[in-house]
Amino acid sequence: MIPAASAIAVREYRSLFRVPVGWIVIALYLFLTGVVFVSSALIPGEPASLRYVFGISGWLLLPVMPAVSMRLFAEEFRSGTAEPLMTSPVSDASIVAGKYLGACLFLLTMLAPTLIYAVILAAVSDPAPDPGPILAGYLSLVLLGMLYLAVGTLVSSLTANQTLAFLGTFLFLLIALLLTGDMAARLPGNIGAILIRLGLSTRMEDFARGVIDTAHVVFFLSVSAWFLLLAFVAVESRRWR
Amino acid sequence: MISVRGVHKSFGGVHAVRGVTFEVGKGQVVGLLGANGAGKTTTIRMITGFLPPDTGSVAVAGHDTLRHSLAARAAVGYLPESAPAYSEMSVDGFLSFRGTLYGMRRRDRRNATERVLGLCDLHEVRRRRVGHLSKGFRQRVGLAAAMLHDPPVLILDEPSNGLDPKQIGQARRLIRELARDRTVLVSSHILPEVEQTCDRVIIMARGQIRVDADPKELLGSLREASPYIVEARGDAAESVLRAVPGVERVEVTSRPALDFDGTAWHTFRITAAAGAIDLREPIAATCAARGILIRELRREAPGLERVFLSLIEADEEGLPSPPGRGRWPADGRDGGGSPGGAAPQSHGAAA
Repeated sequence: MIPAASAIAVREYRSLFRVPVGWIVIALYLFLTGVVFVSSALIPGEPASLRYVFGISGWLLLPVMPAVSMRLFAEEFRSGTAEPLMTSPVSDASIVAGKYLGACLFLLTMLAPTLIYAVILAAVSDPAPDPGPILAGYLSLVLLGMLYLAVGTLVSSLTANQTLAFLGTFLFLLIALLLTGDMAARLPGNIGAILIRLGLSTRMEDFARGVIDTAHVVFFLSVSAWFLLLAFVAVESRRWR
Repeated sequence: MISVRGVHKSFGGVHAVRGVTFEVGKGQVVGLLGANGAGKTTTIRMITGFLPPDTGSVAVAGHDTLRHSLAARAAVGYLPESAPAYSEMSVDGFLSFRGTLYGMRRRDRRNATERVLGLCDLHEVRRRRVGHLSKGFRQRVGLAAAMLHDPPVLILDEPSNGLDPKQIGQARRLIRELARDRTVLVSSHILPEVEQTCDRVIIMARGQIRVDADPKELLGSLREASPYIVEARGDAAESVLRAVPGVERVEVTSRPALDFDGTAWHTFRITAAAGAIDLREPIAATCAARGILIRELRREAPGLERVFLSLIEADEEGLPSPPGRGRWPADGRDGGGSPGGAAPQSHGAAA
């Protein structure tokens, strides 16, 4: 199972760099985060922090991750490569895991160049920035990206149309964020409270303060796992339709 | 090696496959024929484990495709119809990736890749991206990928798609060679290819098997019933031909060609009565005796195409059997009678 899943992950990862979408996504992400870094983190007299960069980066992941995940399964179904893949002796769980891992590797590759911001900040600021919030900020971006990719994997497994996969993931995430964010605060009684507890904003704020709460980490990982499980069911159910 | 038993498959309200049963033994090359929508792709997809049957069972190399799905899939090398492959990968990279999916170690993958590149004549394009290859090369890449793990069962859906005539010949020889120690199921719409490549032919229509026979026997039985083509001079020719003992029907097949003196040459299609001997000599003798000139006398060569077309026509008209006059049971209702000597079997709904 592991060699097949890792082969699928590597293939998926490399394929993102053999099509324009991978390079465009990375270039756009780095350009926008770079603009935010220059305009918000390098301000004379202000404390050295990447907090604002992480906040904006989290929002940037909202359109960027669906662009990465949209082709995971949809492209296989469209081009017909799903047939030889699903008739090879590889379990559906390995296929889902491999594709998801490939997308996660891409996420890490996309975030890696932004480490230069922390290095620049440390070099030009005095006193040096507190490493805690920076580490926590990166962890939050990785966890948030993984969750978005898990949702994207599920949506991509439901369609053969990449545009639909992108829009479906983007809209689902946007609605979920609104429902568990600002809108939840206006809802009366327990419903609002429950939605806020399920939401991401308070957790992201904790990470931004430099607090790495295990409960938050488990939350992100377990929600991602649930969506992957649903993606597995969706892929498996294709065999039964 | 392949065992399909009482398999049904529906999509919504559409019955794609209805009660299909057949076995394919080791070393057999079986051709699967059928018009679009006949159910052959669905049948193939159930054998390869891509789709499960609604009822019935499929086993490959002794492994049930549902209960031991991974083992069954490992025993199959499958070339889907359009030979789909990742267009952004190189041929080498694609084959190596496929090898990993089949659990092959690095050294085995390397050796197997060299072997199939040679078999499919792909060495010159091994470093090129699949998406940059011609359709013929992509087809050969798909064939190479199907053979990579040296499976005991090969299932090839339209293997000669996109190949030029020379490559089609090579593909046929390769399939015959592979069949020495393997089972090969070939789906094709190119009937001469099936005639030349396969030991056995299965023809499907409307989700059922309508013919399951040795193509040589099938064609042999058809040959006995194949009509005669006669081109004879003069308007009296038709009545003379009708008078030949053993002739059942005489049809004029084309407009007459006028001779230099205005006499017409007519082309006739003569159908023999059941059980009649070879009529070529009686026709020639009668015409000679009655002073009718003949410039062509031959039997129409039977081909699978005729079987295929007559079957489809019969199916569309809702007839119980195609106009091969009961040489095979259309759907089990005529009980397997085989007056022509060949014994094609039906494994349709009645199986």
